[in-house]
Parts: sequence; structure tokens; C-alpha cells
Amino acid sequence: MEERQIKADQEAILLEPVRRTGRTFYTTVTILVALIVVGLVAYVNQYRTGLGVTDLSRQVFWGVYITNFVFFIGISHAGALIVAVLRLVKAEWRRPITRAAEVVTVFALLFGVASILIDLGRPDRMLFLVKHAQFQSPLLWDVISVTTYLTASSIYLYIAMIPDMALLRDRGGRLGWLYQTLSLGWTGTSRQQRRLDKITNFMAVLVVIIAVTVHTVVSFVFVMTVQPMWHAAILAPYFVAGAIFSGIATIILMMAFTRKLYHLEDYIKPIHFNNLGLFLLTMALFWFYFTLAEYLTTVYGNEPTQMAIFWSKLTGGYAPYFWAMFVLCFVIPLPILAFKKTRTILGTSVASVSVIIGMWLERYTIIVPTLTTQRLALPAVNYAPTWVEWSILAGCVSFFVLLYMLFTKIFPIISITEISEGRERLLAESREGAGSHASQAAPGMSTTLEL
Amino acid sequence: MEFSRRALLKAAGLGIAGLAAKPLLDVLARPGAAEAAVGMPGKGTGRRWAMVVDLSACRQSDGCTVCTEACHRTHNVPVLGNDKEEIKWLWTAPYEKVFPEQEPEFMAEGLADSPVLVLCNHCDEPPCVRVCPTRATWKNEDGIVMIDYHRCIGCRYCMAGCPYGARSFNWRNPRPFIQDLNQDFPTRTRGVVEKCNFCVERLAEGLLPACVEACPENALIFGDFADPDSNVREILRSRHVIQRFPELGTKPNVYYVV
Repeated sequence: MEERQIKADQEAILLEPVRRTGRTFYTTVTILVALIVVGLVAYVNQYRTGLGVTDLSRQVFWGVYITNFVFFIGISHAGALIVAVLRLVKAEWRRPITRAAEVVTVFALLFGVASILIDLGRPDRMLFLVKHAQFQSPLLWDVISVTTYLTASSIYLYIAMIPDMALLRDRGGRLGWLYQTLSLGWTGTSRQQRRLDKITNFMAVLVVIIAVTVHTVVSFVFVMTVQPMWHAAILAPYFVAGAIFSGIATIILMMAFTRKLYHLEDYIKPIHFNNLGLFLLTMALFWFYFTLAEYLTTVYGNEPTQMAIFWSKLTGGYAPYFWAMFVLCFVIPLPILAFKKTRTILGTSVASVSVIIGMWLERYTIIVPTLTTQRLALPAVNYAPTWVEWSILAGCVSFFVLLYMLFTKIFPIISITEISEGRERLLAESREGAGSHASQAAPGMSTTLEL
Repeated sequence: MEFSRRALLKAAGLGIAGLAAKPLLDVLARPGAAEAAVGMPGKGTGRRWAMVVDLSACRQSDGCTVCTEACHRTHNVPVLGNDKEEIKWLWTAPYEKVFPEQEPEFMAEGLADSPVLVLCNHCDEPPCVRVCPTRATWKNEDGIVMIDYHRCIGCRYCMAGCPYGARSFNWRNPRPFIQDLNQDFPTRTRGVVEKCNFCVERLAEGLLPACVEACPENALIFGDFADPDSNVREILRSRHVIQRFPELGTKPNVYYVV
């Protein structure tokens, strides 16, 4: 009886965001929509006049938009890691954060694709990428792998949501028709459950493999040219590590906001931020290792064209960006994440904001300084992005947050079924008298298992 | 209908292998190999157009810009007036920028700054061609690297692929900026890439490229590498020539007599 009561209470809290909408939500949405409108105005301006409204030039022909492309695709690796890997290693603490992570993945991918389309000189010809596809081009490999990743992640997100949607369907309400269609006749029989488990496990493996290939292929866009500092094999694992790095930071930030705005303190606990914070710390160290390897080999090799770019980053025109990146990606997050005392919700959130901005700068300093190299026999030009480029970046980020917020209003952002499953597993184990299992995280239980 | 999992996996695997076969072969094919085979002597039309720039005869240092003007006029290249958005098919750059790694510390006076004519090298293994996602640029059977302005989607990947900076992009509508419209050559729209085309339209009529014809010093020599008796082959036999970045493996078809 008590168990049923706890379960009903739990569902009520988790479904609260879907049922009620407060004033904060509407205020936030208004601000986001305003930013999106600014971005749209900027893009329409660009569509009508041409890419000349940016500060791109004959020499620096790739800038903010390509940075955004790599950045958003990077963030989309959050889902693959958290959801799929943690599921495969059976980490129980993942349960409250899986859905948010997958949602971040799907929406981030959308804006990665959007950024590339925004960058095209003739976006009206974008379907030529399909119609006249040339498979020798790394951009085509990108098209294929990103499309595959988007499809796989969307399917993964959807099938995980089916039991929850059946729950919402059974409760009725104004969107009952939507949940009815989407739940595909789920009745929770053990046969259906087994099937769902099998498919989910299979998709988890697939998503992890695809995620690694996606960002490797994104790096290949640069690696497959012969430009100095781009034509480096290390860029492939560097990009994958950087993607996971920025992805985890985004998850931490989104979780912190979700927890605060929807009062989900009983479900999203400091332990989650602690564990994600440790992950972030590991990735920060990986990032540092790759960066060190790249620059040390450059300096030691002392090749003139590469050194020109190296100095422009360390002491020249791009020094502010490079050093800001280093401070934001490493110097600030490392002490915060290294000590348990500062690895709190606030601490990890601060570190995450720092990492997200730092990683955007990292993409920028990979792309732009190489294009100002002297090898191209062109006069040196500066690149200072215009209001159009910044507005479009602001618009994309705002739209991404808006889509996430709209999602939380239609579907529960914490997977009710995953939580129930976790609880049942824990109860089953504790009934077997296995006391040593008490140390496992049990989200949703506000009783004695404080961690 | 019950499929066994094994049967499904087999079918899926074969299906994917079948779909991936052609693209995979494309990727692994040597870039430009098919086109180069056609352009090689004895196959297709058998021509290999090439150019030699004789820097000793060229008087760019006196401010001569006849070749550039001829080229840009013939091809409706707009005059935009700023370094960032300018479109140039043929231009000069200082020697130290064109040949940055062939510059000894104590070289001949004035040589480092002397202007060298640069243009698309119409490479035999063009890195720009293999990265184009829509095949808007390709190497034709005469060895000229072409651009189809109607297929280009303006992604500018070819500009990233080219190590010589030979390509320009239309950052805005170029038509208002064309000074002397040549009705016989198409104009471009904004959002597409363009570059020197070795005057393929003039070659089709048996004429020499505009720059070659316009040069008062005959400093530009244009000919067919596939013909052992051509002027360009003669120069390569008799004089010492250099190329831009030969170590990159692009096999450029523009040579320089210093």
C-alpha cells in the first residue's frame, strides 16, 4: 500500500511540469523567442544580400558558422555517452538523467545541421548534397553520419519514451490523442517489456559506435585537406574527446536548470552532479593531454608554416582567443572539479558554463588561425564576426533551449519508467537481504539512502 | 511473421554492404585518376594543357597589369574594391609569398618582393576536386579543372582544399560590379565559387587564353604537354623551372622560369 502511494506521489511530481506551467516559463520563453527573432532577421538579411554581410573573406572563408556546426555536433555527444554507455555498464545513477541527455542530443544535432545550411552560399541548392552526392568528399561522409546519428538517436529517444507515453495516455488529459498514437498500444506485458529491453540494448551499442564515427568524420572535414595544423591525425580523437567534454558540460547545465525550475530536488541529487563532475574532470584531463600533444609536436617540428600559425595563436592576433580557451577549458574547471568540496551542483554548473564557452573558442581557434596562414599568398586580413553572425549564434542557442523547454511541457523530462525500474530492482535486491547494495544510488527514494 | 534474428542480421548486413559498395569504391579511387587517364596521351582528346610563366620576361614590377585586365574583362569578373570580398582569377603576389619555402636568407636584392603571377594551377591531382560534395568542380578530359556554376552550393570546401588560394567566392551579387560586360561569357550569381578556367571557351575556338594573348612581353607560354614538340615541353627541356608547393603532391600544371 505504502509502495503504491510512493509510486503515485513520484509520478505526480514527475508529471507536474507537463500539467502546470508557471510564470517563469512564460517569461523565459518570451526572452528566447525575442532572441530567435533577432537571429531570423539576421539570417533573412544574409539570405537576401549574400554571405558578404558576415566578416568572412576570400582568405577567411569559414568562421562562426562552421564553428557553430562543430560545436553543436560536439554537444550532441552527451546523449551517446550518458545514455548508451552508462546503460551498457549498468550504472544505476544514470536513471534520472537519461531522457534529458537524449533530448539534448537530438536537438543539438538539429542545430549542427542548421549551422552548415546557414553557411551555404546557395542554400536553395542544399538538396544537391543528396541528388549529386560525391562520396569522395568528407562533407558527404558528414551528411551520412550525422543523418544516421540523428535517426538512431531519435529512435532511441522515442522507444525509451513509449512506456511513459502509455502512462500519460492512461491518465487522459488534453494531449491524450498524442500519447495514444505515440504509445503504439503499449500495455506493459512482460513480453513487450522484454522486446523493448532487447531493442534498447541494441540501439545503445549502435548509438555509441555511431557517435564515435560522427565526430571523427566531422574532424575529417579539416583533416583531409592539406592545410597546416588541419592536416593532423590527432584532430580525430581530439574532436571526439572535445565533443564528449562539451556534451557532459551541457548535460550538467541542463540538469541544474531543470532541477531548479521544476523542483526535482528529490530525483536529481548532488550525487549525479558529483559523478558527472568526475566525468567532466576526466575529459578535461584528456583535453589537456591532446592539446599538449598537438602543440608540443608543432613546436618541436619547427616547420615554418605551422609555426606561423602557432605563434599567431600563442602571442599574435589570436592569443586572446587561445588563452581564454585554455583558461575556460582547463584552468577554471580543474580545481573546481578536482576537489569533492567544490564538486557541488553550483560548482559543476560554473565549471560547465566555463567549459561550454571554452570549447566554442577551441573550435574557433582551430578553424580561423589556419585560414590566415601565409601559405596562400594572400594579403593578411582580420576576421571580426559581425552582428549577423553573433545574432545567428544567439538565435540557434535560444532555439535549442526553447525546444528543450517545450519538450519538458509535453513529455516528462525524467523517465518515470526508468526510475520505477530502478526502484523495483533495488527493492528486489534488498529483499534478498543483500545489505551491501545499499550503497547504490536509488533515485526517487527519499528515505534512508542518502549519498 | 517471425524472422529469426540471424536471418535479419544477415539480410541487413548484405543490404548495407551492397549499398556501400559503389560509394566505397568511389572514395578509394585515386582522385582525378579517371579524368587523368582520359587526358593522358592516347586517350580521349589526349590534351594536357599547361602554362609556363617566364618571370624574367614578365614586367609586373613595372606596374604592368595587362594580363589580369584582359582575363577579368573577358570573364566578367566584378570589381568589388576591397581585399576581403574581391574576386581574382589571375593576380600577382610577392615572390616570398608564392614560394615561401624557396627563399634563402641572403637572396638576390629585390627578388623577395618582386611580383609573381599566380593563378589556378589546374593540378593533375586536384585537392579541390575530391572534396567537392556535389561534383560541381571536376577535371575535364583536356586537364582543365572546371566549375559548374549551376551546381555549386557555395560550401567553400574547395577553397579549403586548394593549398594555393586560387579560388574566389561571390560574397554578394556580382552583376552590379561588372565594369565592361562581355556578352559572350556567362556571369555568376552570388553564393558560388569561381576561378581561372584556362579560357576553355577560347580554346574551343582555337584561340589562346586571354592573358597569354594580351601579354606584350610574351612572358606567358601556353601549350599541350601531351605533344612532345609543344612550346611548353621545349621550355621544360631547356630551362630550369620551379612550381608552387610541389611537395604537396598536387602535380600542378603551371611552371615558373625564375
